[in-house]
Amino acid sequence: VKYMLLIYENANTRQTFLGEEGETLMAEVDAIMKELTESGELVGGEALADPSNTRTIRVVDRAPAITDGPFAEAKEHLGGYLIVDCESPERAAEIALRWPSARFSPLEVRPLMDTAGAEM
Amino acid sequence: VSAPDDRVDVLRALAPRVLGILVRRYGRFDACEDAVQEALLAASVQWPAEGMPESPRGWLVTVASRRLADQLRSEHARRRREDTAAAQVPADEAFAPAPDDDQPPEHDDTLTLLLLCCHPALSPASQLALTLRAVGGLTTAQIASAFLVPEATMAQRISRAKQSIRAAGGGFEMPPEPERTERLRVVLHVLYLIFNEGYIASSGSVLQRGELTREAIRLTRAVHTLLPDDGEVAGLLALMLLTDARRPARTRADGTLIALADQDRSRWDRAYIEEGTALITDALARATLGPYQLQAAIAAVHDEAASAQETDWPQILALYELLARVAPNPMVTLNHAVAVAMVHGPRAGLELLATLDADERMAGHHRLEAVRAHLLEMAGDHAAAGAGYRAAARRTTSLPEQRYLEGRAARLDGGAPAAT
Repeated sequence: VKYMLLIYENANTRQTFLGEEGETLMAEVDAIMKELTESGELVGGEALADPSNTRTIRVVDRAPAITDGPFAEAKEHLGGYLIVDCESPERAAEIALRWPSARFSPLEVRPLMDTAGAEM
Repeated sequence: VSAPDDRVDVLRALAPRVLGILVRRYGRFDACEDAVQEALLAASVQWPAEGMPESPRGWLVTVASRRLADQLRSEHARRRREDTAAAQVPADEAFAPAPDDDQPPEHDDTLTLLLLCCHPALSPASQLALTLRAVGGLTTAQIASAFLVPEATMAQRISRAKQSIRAAGGGFEMPPEPERTERLRVVLHVLYLIFNEGYIASSGSVLQRGELTREAIRLTRAVHTLLPDDGEVAGLLALMLLTDARRPARTRADGTLIALADQDRSRWDRAYIEEGTALITDALARATLGPYQLQAAIAAVHDEAASAQETDWPQILALYELLARVAPNPMVTLNHAVAVAMVHGPRAGLELLATLDADERMAGHHRLEAVRAHLLEMAGDHAAAGAGYRAAARRTTSLPEQRYLEGRAARLDGGAPAAT
């Protein structure tokens, strides 16, 4: 089953990763990525740019409405994601727990929808 | 001149035989498996352009042997132990095909290979992938596409699987009893999983994935040919045929699921039903009873009914009672509860279903909620049924199932008559 790990950040998360501790934290990220690649569990993943680069798109009364910035100011925002294909939800949670940003801000683990299905 | 499909069939059928010949001759299952994969890829490019060689198997053995020699030579070079390596590098002649390559081999190694690929040290996902490549002769790209992961991910999974087998000391040999029987059960489970992956694929959208049913049936047929007296092998083959027979009728053109009771039975594959029914009838008459045989027998009863109303539910119920005794598990209880409802009424079915509420594996599972909603609908409690279908729709991670369950709930909202 494929899971998306949604990696949330707060205002300080990325500063921490770019600061003094950064090298150690990034080494942890590299080690997990290497492990997931070698085990054949890694499907994909990306980091997102800072939320200040966001444009929010809406269609209001059929007319486009574009504003700068995220649609909701929140203490935490989506910082990136990983997609893994693993044996169990427990394994997906284990990967999320080891992701170093989990010590500063939460991750969400959500299964992906599948186009296959059984008749009932 | 062979049609492209024939060529693919020839290639895939030869894959385990060629691999068996190489492993017997040179050892090193992991390296031989890579070499055979390369030979299969070369054949898929060269044969259509230059025509099939006179002896396809000899051709594949020769090409795979050369690839293996190249691979081992570059490995030795990498180790930079020139002096000793030179002595160890096998001469090209050592990899020339032996004169007996065109003779049928004494042993068909398919079963030995299956047991190795389904080694208990591997996760089910790895067992599936390695079986499809080493025994099924599929390419890494095809397997990756069937499981909707990048090719690099699948390649890594296969290579890790082979490392794990080596680390666990798995050898290319028939394990002794009783281990052999236990390991064969794992093989059958892997074949069943391959079949199911293909069966539940939505038609049209991902063709490669749907092809897995054909692969699973082909491989199970091969095992049945090798072990004709094993009732569970026959049972599994029958179950696949009797289930796949309904595939043309299980979805609409847009991929929407159609419940068994609502399927157009004229679209069921009669040839598969006849073959599956004959297989299971024969197995039940002479082999030791097992779960695949019972599931095949249940499928046969469904397939024999000219309409949903004519289904012999008392017989299906009797078979589920047996199955619940032989191989109890929550999924069996779910289907058992439906059979109870059809024979003794929805309330009796709901009572059996309630026993699953305490089961950690099933609590909140969408299938449990969907079956409960169905039985509540049968009982006339439309409000609870609608809420149940919606709860199940939220829980499922399958898009077609979500659409189907939402549809059932919406039909109850609209006050349309309940489906049977």
